[in-house]
Amino acid sequence: MSIESILIVGGGLAGFTVAQNLRARGYAGSLQIIDPAGIPYDRPPLSKGYLLGDKDAAAIELAPASWFAEHRIGLVPATVRALALEPLGVELEDGAVLQADRLVLATGGSARPLPIPGGELDSVLVLRDRQDADRLRASIAPGTRLAIVGAGLIGAEVASSALALGAEVTLIDPVETPLVPAVGPELARRLHAMHAGAGITVIHGTPAGITRTGTGHRIELADGRVIECDEVLVGIGITPNTALAEAAGLQTDNGVLVDENQRTSRPGVYAVGDMARTRRPDGTLARRGEHWEHAMNTGATAAAAILAQEPPVHGASWFWSDRHGTHVEGVGDMNADGTTILRIHDGEPVAAFRVAADGTMLGAAALDGGLTIKAARRIIDRGIIVPAEALADPGVPLRKLAR
Amino acid sequence: MDSTGGAAATGRRAVDLGDTEMLEPGTALLIGSETSGHPDDIGLFRTENGDYFALDDECPHEVASLSEGWIEGEEIECPLHSSRFGLRDGKVLCLPATSDARTHRVEVANGRVLLYPGTPA
Ligand SMILES: Cc1cc2nc3c(=O)[nH]c(=O)nc-3n(C[C@H](O)[C@H](O)[C@H](O)COP(=O)(O)OP(=O)(O)OC[C@H]3O[C@@H](n4cnc5c(N)ncnc54)[C@H](O)[C@@H]3O)c2cc1C
Ligand code: FES
Repeated sequence: MSIESILIVGGGLAGFTVAQNLRARGYAGSLQIIDPAGIPYDRPPLSKGYLLGDKDAAAIELAPASWFAEHRIGLVPATVRALALEPLGVELEDGAVLQADRLVLATGGSARPLPIPGGELDSVLVLRDRQDADRLRASIAPGTRLAIVGAGLIGAEVASSALALGAEVTLIDPVETPLVPAVGPELARRLHAMHAGAGITVIHGTPAGITRTGTGHRIELADGRVIECDEVLVGIGITPNTALAEAAGLQTDNGVLVDENQRTSRPGVYAVGDMARTRRPDGTLARRGEHWEHAMNTGATAAAAILAQEPPVHGASWFWSDRHGTHVEGVGDMNADGTTILRIHDGEPVAAFRVAADGTMLGAAALDGGLTIKAARRIIDRGIIVPAEALADPGVPLRKLAR
Repeated sequence: MDSTGGAAATGRRAVDLGDTEMLEPGTALLIGSETSGHPDDIGLFRTENGDYFALDDECPHEVASLSEGWIEGEEIECPLHSSRFGLRDGKVLCLPATSDARTHRVEVANGRVLLYPGTPA
């Protein structure tokens, strides 16, 4: 049966990429993206350039309205309330039902609430979508005391941007050195130390409760310390938006389970991006990807799979983050079995490479590393063995070793 | 490097950048306005095959210098967020950038690399 209609639920990067790739691969049938947000936009700037006011809403659109018209991709500004499986389709909040030959779930994730008393307060801020960013921006003025719970990627980036906007920032994390799994302990320590260096109050502690105090908030830590502040932002990760899939009986486990072609347990239904989790052919579950490139790659794979075309080949996973003027990148797995080789420059680690016993590179991370990570990802993807001395030597451009 | 032709910043003026081996294959060079007479920085790229191309140096996405990027075949990958652009036509090939990079004509003649700042390739 030829495919005549495809519905994509969620127009973030993953859903957008499915639509873009379907058209690029020649699919000419009906194609609609359902998302209350309207024109798909990019999220990384929400904690960086958009929050700072360097980029406006139009500047973060993934494509202009005219592009969607030109490619005959319908944008349905609505929220999906339920999935229908026989026949395949969705039910919108107003009760309208749309049907399609294929369904793609791309609903992303929601900011995880802090599971403590007060964590559910409406006045506690999170950052996942553009409205959140607008609200956060409106809450910050010079001198605003902003407490951020969670010093991972989003918390650290907001801390840096809020500082630039003139806020007095307190950054709280129960983990002494956040981001160790992403970049390894050496670079994580250096990154975390940048906060205090920039003038942020860094607190190693576990929040136990949040209460409102007049116009502000009070955060109590488990050890009894108290932080008085105006605004609280919680950035402790996301939970995948799997409710629709679960209600429809699709297999889920901290994400909608998909195979390597993004197919869910229900024929004709695909899942991509932050909400999808891969079950490998041997039945083991991969870690759920929550980065930008992963959303794009899974979207590209789903488009190929839907059209029964050769799927694209993706290399080791890659992410970046920007804070305090430092550009961080990581590729592959810094936690894999092996040893870490550091590149030291002026007494500070600038890059870390995770290398297996046989010399193959498994992961790499770098701060302001230029082409280091681009080289590392090619070294990883091509299985190139690089001598440890060369990796450690900041005088050896990794680029040469990746060719 | 010397400039031949008129002083206008655009048009068919050629700038002689150097001999054909001025760049190692697979590398790039930033050509500033003091050399090109063009208001914006220009990135000069040489592919592994030895061909020369030029684009506006600043990535259309955010603030990054494409001449510090990674040349792969006839594409340049931005050093910051890895958007790729065709060196021949400046076309953006993947997100997060959404607009093309401006091209500048480069000619190799009589063993010299000639850049035409402001003239599309
Ligand atoms: C502030 C911020 C900064 C980030 N910075 C970086 C970075 O620097 N580097 C990096 O690698 N990654 C970064 N990321 C992560 C990256 O943006 C995400 O991995 C990516 O956005 C995931 O894309 P997605 O399409 O799966 O989900 P999302 O982008 O979350 O999109 C999901 C969409 O689904 C819609 N939706 C949900 N439920 C429904 C429903 N029932 N009906 C209709 N529509 C629905 C939502 O409105 C939303 O638009 C950042 C994320 C955030 C939030
Ligand atoms: S600055 Fe070039 S891709 Fe972002």
